[in-house]
Amino acid sequence: MSDESILRVEGLVTQFRTEYGLVKAVDGVSFELRRGETLGLVGESGCGKSVTNLSILKLIQSPPGKIAGGRVIFQGRDLLAAPEEEVRVLRGKNISMIFQDPLTSLNPVLRVSVQIAEALQLHHGLGKREAKAKAIEMLKLIGIPDPERRADDYPHQFSGGMRQRVMIAMALSCDPDILIADEPTTALDVTIQAQILDLIKNLTARNKTAVIMITHDLGVVAGMCDSICVMYAGRIVERASVDDLFYDPKHPYTRGLLDSIPRVDRAAAYGRDGPERLYSIPGSPPSLVDMPDCCPFHPRCAHAMDICRSSYPPETRLEGSAPRTVNCWLHVEEKRR
Amino acid sequence: MATNRLTRNGIAMTGLVIVAFYLAIIVVSLFWLPFDPVTMDTQHLLEAPSLATGHVFGTDEFGRDILSRIMKGCSVSLIISIFATALGAVFGTFMGIWAGYLGGRWDHWIMRVADVLFSFPSLLLAIFVMSILGEKTFNVVFAIGIVYIPQFARISRGAILTIKSNEFVRAARSNGASSSFILFRHLLPNILVPLIVQVSLSLSVAVLLESSLSFLGLGVQPPAPSWGNMLSGARKVMVIAPWTAIYPGFAIVLLVLGFNLLGDGLRDILDPRLRNVR
Amino acid sequence: MIPVLFGVSIVVFFLVRLIPGSALEMYMGTQVEATPQQMEELKRIFGEDKPVPVLYVEWLGRLVRGDFGYSLRTGRPVLPDILARFPLSLELTLFALFLALLLGIPQGIFASIKKNPVGDVINRIIGLLGLSLPQFWLASLMVLAFANSRGWIAMGNYVKFTVDPLKNLQMLFLPSLAIGVGLAAVIMRYTRNSMLEVLQMDYIRTAKAKGLKRRVVIFRHALKNAILPVITVAGFNTGYLLGGAIVIEEVFALPGMGRLALYAIYQRDYPVIQGIVLVIAALFVLVNLVTDLIYALVDPRIRLDEGRK
Repeated sequence: MSDESILRVEGLVTQFRTEYGLVKAVDGVSFELRRGETLGLVGESGCGKSVTNLSILKLIQSPPGKIAGGRVIFQGRDLLAAPEEEVRVLRGKNISMIFQDPLTSLNPVLRVSVQIAEALQLHHGLGKREAKAKAIEMLKLIGIPDPERRADDYPHQFSGGMRQRVMIAMALSCDPDILIADEPTTALDVTIQAQILDLIKNLTARNKTAVIMITHDLGVVAGMCDSICVMYAGRIVERASVDDLFYDPKHPYTRGLLDSIPRVDRAAAYGRDGPERLYSIPGSPPSLVDMPDCCPFHPRCAHAMDICRSSYPPETRLEGSAPRTVNCWLHVEEKRR
Repeated sequence: MATNRLTRNGIAMTGLVIVAFYLAIIVVSLFWLPFDPVTMDTQHLLEAPSLATGHVFGTDEFGRDILSRIMKGCSVSLIISIFATALGAVFGTFMGIWAGYLGGRWDHWIMRVADVLFSFPSLLLAIFVMSILGEKTFNVVFAIGIVYIPQFARISRGAILTIKSNEFVRAARSNGASSSFILFRHLLPNILVPLIVQVSLSLSVAVLLESSLSFLGLGVQPPAPSWGNMLSGARKVMVIAPWTAIYPGFAIVLLVLGFNLLGDGLRDILDPRLRNVR
Repeated sequence: MIPVLFGVSIVVFFLVRLIPGSALEMYMGTQVEATPQQMEELKRIFGEDKPVPVLYVEWLGRLVRGDFGYSLRTGRPVLPDILARFPLSLELTLFALFLALLLGIPQGIFASIKKNPVGDVINRIIGLLGLSLPQFWLASLMVLAFANSRGWIAMGNYVKFTVDPLKNLQMLFLPSLAIGVGLAAVIMRYTRNSMLEVLQMDYIRTAKAKGLKRRVVIFRHALKNAILPVITVAGFNTGYLLGGAIVIEEVFALPGMGRLALYAIYQRDYPVIQGIVLVIAALFVLVNLVTDLIYALVDPRIRLDEGRK
């Protein structure tokens, strides 16, 4: 894994105008992606992870959404400032995306081979026949049996896991630099999940494709990612390498997430007066409408201090095997001491 | 988003205003009309519209004031349309609710009957019924009403089917509620939305059907004025007296448009699914 | 479908018998009283000597053999007369459908992709206006406007397609337009709404994420899906076109089935009425069937599931 940075997101702000008010879905998100790295973007539903990635590719429906600020640097250019045509050329070719629900994300009236071949025809200028041949090749690569025949089938003729493989084939067909995977396994059976993740891992390793893996499942992240960004209420609250995050989480929210994972050995270790209760972080995520300036996690945080209620904690750099930051007043205090 | 709500309301409001306007005309026409709509006046045949003579819309081939006839015809057309729609709505909804709720063979046969009615193009069916019942103005209500029965039946049946399997029906049943009780207390409120929209749209079609029937001589009989039979009479003379054809036609178009706007606007407001679609 | 047709035939037969003023009475009119024997004979001819259900079954039997009876007015067999007029009505209907699709679909697509709220509202109002126009009024105005241009209005000088196709099309253009305007409005609204719904779908987002050009996304991805409900609506309303043709044929004086039906009703010629109403209703059902078939062919989800069985 080289240190070459392939994507840099700086201060991304995406907002939605709703009948209830202005929703700041993404409120100042910054991170860096290196060539060949797999970055995990973790958080609860509604924390802004999907919106972040749609914003990178400028796929936000506007209205009601609007990318209100920040920069996304790719290949030396700021994509947010670039005209739509320039960004469109990159989509599918340099930066690809796969989505959560493969049933609704594939066009039901187009053959699978057509859907894969489209990207090849557009981005690599292949003719119809060549593109179809390559599509069949991709199908073989992702493990679809009898690919020549199945290429002419329609999405509804495949099972859920197969469909997701097709999506992956579609996304990787043009050898992109970055693959953004938006909860690719959430809609699938647990047994299939592992297969899909392995597939992604193998295919992206071959071409050193960088991956942004969005998920709420820490188990997925542990197996796949090199580094992780934890998101909460539209912001990144902690960033670390996988090992650092799991063994020494710094942000109270991250700790809460890790504690929430039911563990067989813990019950055995702590059981005194009977079965131990499963831990969950008390409270619920805040409404993103007109959020005041504070740490958004403070109502649920056991270590909340006065300053947490009145202003948002700055980013603090910490020691780690990879670049490590956390946004928490606790650690600002520590550093000051 | 806020502006969207307003425009959707705007469409419904415009429709409502138009319909209210026509209703106002009916009320006014009960007390006052510019001229007598029925008596012929051979002195003033086919006069062009002019403010001087007081015939603002001109006179027809029998010397009758067109504006007065339009106003009088308004009552006839609207009343027929309302009653016909009510007839179709009541019978059709009744049929549809029972078909949907009872299911099975009842559903099958009731809907077969509706299908048979549905197999006729509406105007044809209306004409057919009129020819059987006789060319009395009153019968137009039946003719048009019958056309609507299958449409309302389908809508209400569809609505019933989608909520029939809902938990609250089962819950009510387990509490010992009888079929008709469930029907009226629980199911009816839920089908109100598609019904209201359909009623509004049906009213617009009813006006068109009634005018078509009257135009063909199978609806409101002369000398009673209906916009349709006014246009029929105008056919022979419209080359030299275009106003006889233009004004009654406009009257129809505007009212039908009003009902359509109302129905469309209501559908937007009441249908939550469409709310987020621009 | 078969029971429906049966039901239709029953309705037609029995209801026609209910038409006041039976043909026999009309024939008798103010004539001198007939002798009992003559009455017997007349009753037999007019079919009033047997109980009604028997008459129904006999009638059904004759129908199946193609014998639709004889016109009370002209004495000619009913079915051939109806069939002779069928091509014109068919042509009107198809031409109207064609025009409606031509006008409606592009407008609908346009309305769904343009993000202009004011234009959108205007579009919808125009669409609703199309629905609000009484066909006979539109037709009358057309006749008024084109009264002096012989080529565009037939008025009794109808030229068949087989004789002179161009002139035929020219003559049928205005009437088809009058019929089609209402349908165009319906198609436009359905296309627009369907497109709007489809454009919100996840697979459109996927298509955009692949970097496809906007035109490709709209036409290859969105339209193919959006067109499905429009097919159903168009097909269904085609059946209604058959009914709308009655008024148009009357105003434009075209010798089609609708006009035949109308005059038969005016004249209480009930074998003709029965025949035409039955034919039109059967066509209506047939059109719906064809529409379902077309839909099944176009939607791969249905087509392939059927194939597996």
